[in-house]
Amino acid sequence: MTRFRRYLPGLPAYAFAYLVFLYTPVLLLPVFSFNDGTIVAFPLKGLTLKWYAQLGAQETLIRALFNSLIVGGIAALASTSLGLFAARAYVRYRFPAKEMSEGLVMLPLVIPGIIVASSMLIMFVSIGLKPSLTAVILGHTFLALPFAVSIMKSAFDEFDQSLEEAAYDLGETIIGTFRRVTLPIVSPGIIASLLVTFTVSFDEFVLAFFLSGNQPTLPVYIWSQIRFPAKLPNTLALGSILLLASILLLVVAEYFRRRTSKTSI
Amino acid sequence: MSDQNIIELKDVEKRFGSFVAVSDLTLSLKQGEFFSLLGPSGCGKTTALRIIAGFQDHEKGKITIDGVPMKDIPANKRPTNMVFQSYAIFPHLTVFNNVAFGLRKSRLSKAELDQRVNEALDMVELTGMGGRKADELSGGQRQRVALARALVMQPKVLLLDEPLSALDKNLREAMQLELRRLQQSIGITFVMVTHDQYEAMTMSDRIGVMFEGKLMQVDRPEVLYAQPCNREVAAFIGGMNFVPAELIKEDGDQLQIKAAGFGTLNIDVNPNVRERGSALLIGVRPEQLEIAATKPEGYDSTIEGTIANVAFYGESVHYYVEVEGLTDVVSVAVPNYFHTVDYKSGDKVWLGLQNSSIIDLGKG
Repeated sequence: MTRFRRYLPGLPAYAFAYLVFLYTPVLLLPVFSFNDGTIVAFPLKGLTLKWYAQLGAQETLIRALFNSLIVGGIAALASTSLGLFAARAYVRYRFPAKEMSEGLVMLPLVIPGIIVASSMLIMFVSIGLKPSLTAVILGHTFLALPFAVSIMKSAFDEFDQSLEEAAYDLGETIIGTFRRVTLPIVSPGIIASLLVTFTVSFDEFVLAFFLSGNQPTLPVYIWSQIRFPAKLPNTLALGSILLLASILLLVVAEYFRRRTSKTSI
Repeated sequence: MSDQNIIELKDVEKRFGSFVAVSDLTLSLKQGEFFSLLGPSGCGKTTALRIIAGFQDHEKGKITIDGVPMKDIPANKRPTNMVFQSYAIFPHLTVFNNVAFGLRKSRLSKAELDQRVNEALDMVELTGMGGRKADELSGGQRQRVALARALVMQPKVLLLDEPLSALDKNLREAMQLELRRLQQSIGITFVMVTHDQYEAMTMSDRIGVMFEGKLMQVDRPEVLYAQPCNREVAAFIGGMNFVPAELIKEDGDQLQIKAAGFGTLNIDVNPNVRERGSALLIGVRPEQLEIAATKPEGYDSTIEGTIANVAFYGESVHYYVEVEGLTDVVSVAVPNYFHTVDYKSGDKVWLGLQNSSIIDLGKG
């Protein structure tokens, strides 16, 4: 059988060049974080781990990291809980304005962050909520919700509705059915959603910049440090750690997301 | 089986928007009987079952189970348990914990709980399989787990929604007999929904046939087969040749009719028929017609025809015969006694018919 060439001859080279362009800057970050010098330029002056070693001693950085962990943790819990119930309703029930509601939930994916950030700032201030971690948590929950809803929807898509009916039929209450059947079966989806929404919040800059006030999250802190050339290698080291952590979290999340579809029989 | 009614439905009606899923459903089920709701898909039989289970509300009518009105009693408080079409085995639990699921609420001691679960597993021949995970089970085993999980609750009524439809043919036939035996040994009422007439006939004490939300006829399988109340029921259960006829004279439990092709016949009145006019419909089962190369002796009516088609079924041979005066070909089933197919397309044959095998189907 003849193999047809269904693509132009230059396409593989183009794709390769594109990926290089896309990922080289990302790879440069860890490379320069090991450079023994404050100037970010080739050639490297020698390898060192001192930029990493210094990180632990920087109190404002640790506080920013702590802020990010709190914001990420609470936003992940909140958006995943909301996403869990929303997804179950979207998959199971038909109700008026369902499509519109689903569309609205997904909207944060496409609205420019700067618009969301400035309008949230205006709204929060007008209802008396000063820029603070609470404001960032609310903003990030909103932003992470579409991720939580779509992950939980795929978990419920695979879920046989008669499992819940069977539990109810065997004498369980509605809440007991949710706890003993629904929750364990969609738990891989819940874990995947927690990890993804945490990552979304942890890496988010624009909303946090507008809403965090004097309690910066890690990305906001990093941005503030970039202005000081002497601190730049530290920032690169920190960025490299975050990069690695984000990739790890997403890989684990993907593992759990795929497990959801396997557990339902 | 006793004469005491365990379930009574009176004028039950369920609508989905303007679609009437179940209407005027009135039915009494006896303690200890195996009852099947039979009908094509979309006839409302599953809705009726879900109304009994409490999964579906209903707009009109009344349901009592063991004398207790079921209005306002939710599914988790009803003395019924259900075997689902998909079996709904909890995938995160072992076989033991699936069966024990409903007992966990009942504050049994661990020893009692173990005993009840193991008895249920023995009953469905899954002894020693308690440790298996749900995804290690075959289709037949999953069905047994679903049965054990429902029966361990000691329901007054077991509801089965197309319980055998997911199994392959051989396993399905084995399970039909086994389910029937199980039901007789434990003596509780089974209500099964099925679209498979053979399944319904082999397993049930009585069958209710449903069409378009209405219960057409409730009877023992052999009565349904011999005296279906109308054309729809007759066509749904077994094969049937339909022949239009005219009523000449009605005389007590006898009808004198003039049937297309067959001429004047005297037949018994079918007590299940509700409407009768001057235009009638009669039915003849394919296996109750005689087929012969020469005019057969000793039949109330004989008729000549030409073979149009032959179909070999293994246990029987079906001949499709064209008869003058009839628009539909007449189907004749002959048991395959001697491994022979005696006629081929185009052969001239005679058909013989006894009056007693003609079924009055009422208004034509």
